[in-house]
Amino acid sequence: MENEKKTQSNDTRTFLQHLFKMKTAQEKQVERENAPSYRSIKTSGMTLVIKEGRANVKQLEAIQKVSHIVGTVLIYSFLIFMAFIVLFPFYWMVITSLKSTTEIRSLHQTFFPTNVLWSNYITVFNSFDFTTYVGNTLVVGIISTLGTLVTTIFAAFAFARLNFRGKDVIFAILLATMMIPGEMMVITNYITVSRLPWYEFGIGKVDGWLTYKDSVFASMIIPFWVSVFYIYLLRQNFKQIPNELYLAAKVDGKSDWQYLWKVMVPLAAPTLISIFILKLMGAWNSYVWPQLVTTNNESWRLVTNALRGSFTTTSGEPQYGIQMAATILVTVPLLLLFIFFRKYIMRGVGRAGIKG
Amino acid sequence: MEIRLKNLTKVFPGNPKKGIPDTIAVNKLDITVPDGKLMGLLGPSGCGKSTTLYMIAGLLEPTDGEIWFGDEDVTELEPEKRGIGLVFQNYALYPHMTVYKNVAFPLTNLYLEERATTPDETKRALIKRDYVLKLAKAKEELKTLRKAGNKAGCEAKKAEIITLKAQQELDIKAAVLPQNDSEGKPVMKRRHLTKDEIDKIVRETAKIVQIEPFLERKPNQLSGGQQQRVAIARALVKKPKVLLLDEPLSNLDARLRLQTREEIRRIQQSTGITTVFVTHDQEEAMSISDEIVVMKLGLEQQRGVPQEVYNNPVNEFVANFLGTPPINLFKGHIKGNKIYIGDEMVREITEKNVPDQECTVGIRPEGIIVDEKGPFSFHVDRILTMGRDIMLVADHRSAKSNTKFVVDSFVKVSVGDVKASVKPHKCFAFSLEEGKARII
Amino acid sequence: MTSETTTVNNNQATKKANPIKAFFKKLFTPKERIGADAGEKNNWKAWLYLAPSLILLAVFTFYPLINTIVIAFLKNYDYTSQVSEGFTMDNFGVVLGLVGKTGASDIVYKWQCIYNSVTKTWSYVSGAGSVQVYFQTDVINYALPNTLIITFVTVPVSIIISLLISIGLNSIKAFKKFLQTIFFVPYVTNAIAVGMVFAVLFDYQGIINFIFNLGASPWVDQAAPTWKAMIALCIYIVWHSLPFKILIFLSGLQNIDKQYYDAAKIDSAGKWKTMMNVTVPLLSPQILYIMITSFIASFKEYTSVVGLIGMPSTDGGGTKNMYTVVYYIYDQIKGNVGYGAAAAVLLFIIIMIFTAIQFRVSKKRVYY
Repeated sequence: MENEKKTQSNDTRTFLQHLFKMKTAQEKQVERENAPSYRSIKTSGMTLVIKEGRANVKQLEAIQKVSHIVGTVLIYSFLIFMAFIVLFPFYWMVITSLKSTTEIRSLHQTFFPTNVLWSNYITVFNSFDFTTYVGNTLVVGIISTLGTLVTTIFAAFAFARLNFRGKDVIFAILLATMMIPGEMMVITNYITVSRLPWYEFGIGKVDGWLTYKDSVFASMIIPFWVSVFYIYLLRQNFKQIPNELYLAAKVDGKSDWQYLWKVMVPLAAPTLISIFILKLMGAWNSYVWPQLVTTNNESWRLVTNALRGSFTTTSGEPQYGIQMAATILVTVPLLLLFIFFRKYIMRGVGRAGIKG
Repeated sequence: MEIRLKNLTKVFPGNPKKGIPDTIAVNKLDITVPDGKLMGLLGPSGCGKSTTLYMIAGLLEPTDGEIWFGDEDVTELEPEKRGIGLVFQNYALYPHMTVYKNVAFPLTNLYLEERATTPDETKRALIKRDYVLKLAKAKEELKTLRKAGNKAGCEAKKAEIITLKAQQELDIKAAVLPQNDSEGKPVMKRRHLTKDEIDKIVRETAKIVQIEPFLERKPNQLSGGQQQRVAIARALVKKPKVLLLDEPLSNLDARLRLQTREEIRRIQQSTGITTVFVTHDQEEAMSISDEIVVMKLGLEQQRGVPQEVYNNPVNEFVANFLGTPPINLFKGHIKGNKIYIGDEMVREITEKNVPDQECTVGIRPEGIIVDEKGPFSFHVDRILTMGRDIMLVADHRSAKSNTKFVVDSFVKVSVGDVKASVKPHKCFAFSLEEGKARII
Repeated sequence: MTSETTTVNNNQATKKANPIKAFFKKLFTPKERIGADAGEKNNWKAWLYLAPSLILLAVFTFYPLINTIVIAFLKNYDYTSQVSEGFTMDNFGVVLGLVGKTGASDIVYKWQCIYNSVTKTWSYVSGAGSVQVYFQTDVINYALPNTLIITFVTVPVSIIISLLISIGLNSIKAFKKFLQTIFFVPYVTNAIAVGMVFAVLFDYQGIINFIFNLGASPWVDQAAPTWKAMIALCIYIVWHSLPFKILIFLSGLQNIDKQYYDAAKIDSAGKWKTMMNVTVPLLSPQILYIMITSFIASFKEYTSVVGLIGMPSTDGGGTKNMYTVVYYIYDQIKGNVGYGAAAAVLLFIIIMIFTAIQFRVSKKRVYY
């Protein structure tokens, strides 16, 4: 009974295979045995050749030289073209900031301002209250960065060097939080921040040593005093410091605290600088959270918040020239940071990609 | 395919600002590797042998000189176009591909050149007619078998029909007329290899190097020796004119080394590919090469059949490099056509007249015969029984370093002063001047 | 060939269980535990070091995570007074456009309503008569599709472009560092600030219209058709995301052993073949990482819309045709927090699903 079933299914299979012109295993085997073989290829004069066939060497060399040059030219053109696209907005930003509004809006766009107008910049300084916003941003930025450095150093030290129960589990949980979109936290954080006791000091009152302004600033700073990404980064760096140094310090009678500040921090200085700069840049560029938290008082805003929507005329037309001038003033500090600290920035960002 | 290196030179530019001079890695090398032979490039680290190999491969450009494959000057040719196989020291197997894909990869980049053909219609019609008859007959037989209820016979008959059909297709395909161009020369066309052809060639190559069981594994699942063989298979699969091996055995353990070098020799002889391999192990080079070239600091020291180079080293370096244990060197001099070590005359020179001079005397370990009346004396410190023979670790006041002698196992010798005579052809004298050329 | 399995003699295990167990336990504990502390296996001081980070994380990450999920299920949650009207699934319904609001109560499900295609309104027939129902369509009509379009357009495009640039950069010698620096510049800029620059570029009377002469309608100003604004937005997002990708790919490329390229040359592989069969597979860990992070980032796209357009619509505020999911969430914070929380939870779920899918797919194709 089983045998019959088997032959039946075999029959069907062969039938279907022939129907669809597929080859059965047997046919394939026959073909394989008769295909040109290793030996027969050699003896029957069949040879494997490169793409250009059996052209003689001189021809090959010529083709090779030409394709080499063409290839290099193509690559460079592509890269230069892309570099141009990357830089073009910046160029446009600069020249727009130097143009008058009429020229910007004219039907014939110019690639260089006909009249170089520095007045846009003056207007920015006068009306934008630039210094206030920059001041706000610097205060928030520096305090939050310093705080982050402290918490990061502590936490990274604990994960890299010390041993405690549940260490791996907690670290895994921390890494998992990096995957959660920040939006999940924003809502509750806003609620938390608006209900924390410091808000209640001096709303409208001036007693209590925290003013409303301070509490707003605190709420822009404190939630960001910890960053799992930087803990991860610094922990990697700490781990690379050889264990022997720790043991030697222990033998010398130094406590963990001394070891941390006298040995590990100096050795990890490059990474710390990277973290400092990246965090500062992050504060300079932050928009969402400050926007949320400072809705009651515009003068406490950060630079980026103030930028958007500024300089529109009463009819709603944006004054691009002045806007661009303001944008440049906001972007230039970042570019300066980049020029001087390029190595640290790129290294800090690049580390992110080493471990998948 | 004969390989010819003419005046091959490679200079790595230094940095004049930092005071790093130019390095001459290979210095006017002139070598011919005959077709189908296995040549070993031998030398210590830094002697330029790997550099030479990479220049033959095309991965490095020579500063000067020419490289010829047969009658073509390939010096300027890119490695892709040279048609060689290279086995890297670290194997360089693509880690993300299975062994099968690794070996098949070269084949997917090459083309098969074959005679362009046109179908031969008349012949095909004839074949079709033939097969129609055969198939009809077979089908009749199948019918009768089925009626008779002969299950086994049915299966066999069906298999026969399938074979017939396959055969018919193949015969039809084979019935072609070769094409000639207007001048009567054959027209060649190039095409990619079909999957089946690639499969066949890969499996055959796998059989030669014996890696068939691993074809579906990834390189990181294989041991060092197995990876080695996969690398060899990948180099061989495209049937190259030239096979190059860069220190193929240096990453293997001792036992595997012996086994693998025999395999390399076997493969080379069965396929007949001209092979050059690079090594710093003289035993390895001597045991399997047809010819060896000894190199030092980019210069060729000596070239020849291994036994010849061993028996007649051209200078002290070559004599020292070949042979385990190494040749024993002593301070000596030549006087009156006789070689002396200290006061002892170890050999008379009969071949020619040699001026009196200070020299270094080299005696091969196997070059002494324990002899009470012998002129040469030394102090044996230890006797090591090797089973096959006996090694004497000895001491001699004129010796440049620890001396070792090897004698047959039945020789009776004990620790202490021993006298011996020296076999003349195992005793060499080297000049003290630059190059340490052999005097006699 | 010899198989390389080791056999453990199980007979012995039953007799001498404890020593063997202890031995294996010691063997398999991570190296750190054995050597690092010189005896201190449980350093309570570590908790002191961790305390600041953990407290901050607890307040600003762990608690919010749970709290947001809870809020998503609360009806009409008022956060100042912390009063809600009880648990409900309706927030999700509202966000997805399945639950509508009438003037008075807002528990009306879409299947209970009748659609009038003439007036394009939904109405609900209750005992008191027919009431018009308002469905929250911004997410379903605009936010979700926009976000999906942004994701599935910008991620592949930016990955391919940055891959080509990285491979090109890796293969040249002269000016390499210089070009590398140029390509990194967009990263150090302010997303909003540069968005405004792009707004100038794409202005109706701006340079793009001038060069390409396509200006029948504006790109990002008011009265811009949605598809044009989306194109401008996607171009901006791709432009802004190139530097990070290029940096990661470049460092990955530099870690590929040169020998593989040599081997490919010997194997007669041309430039394209080498790229597809050697370079890209060996770069696959980085490609996977970039794919996952880019997907997640583009699902959360918000600042680019603010930077480029300034508001979520290009038709004077009539409809919110340039909404993204996150834009909706932030808008709802000042409105009904429950809806925002529900949208955030939905976002989280979508991201997790996509990430899981990507991990699944990557198992076969990524080589470490």
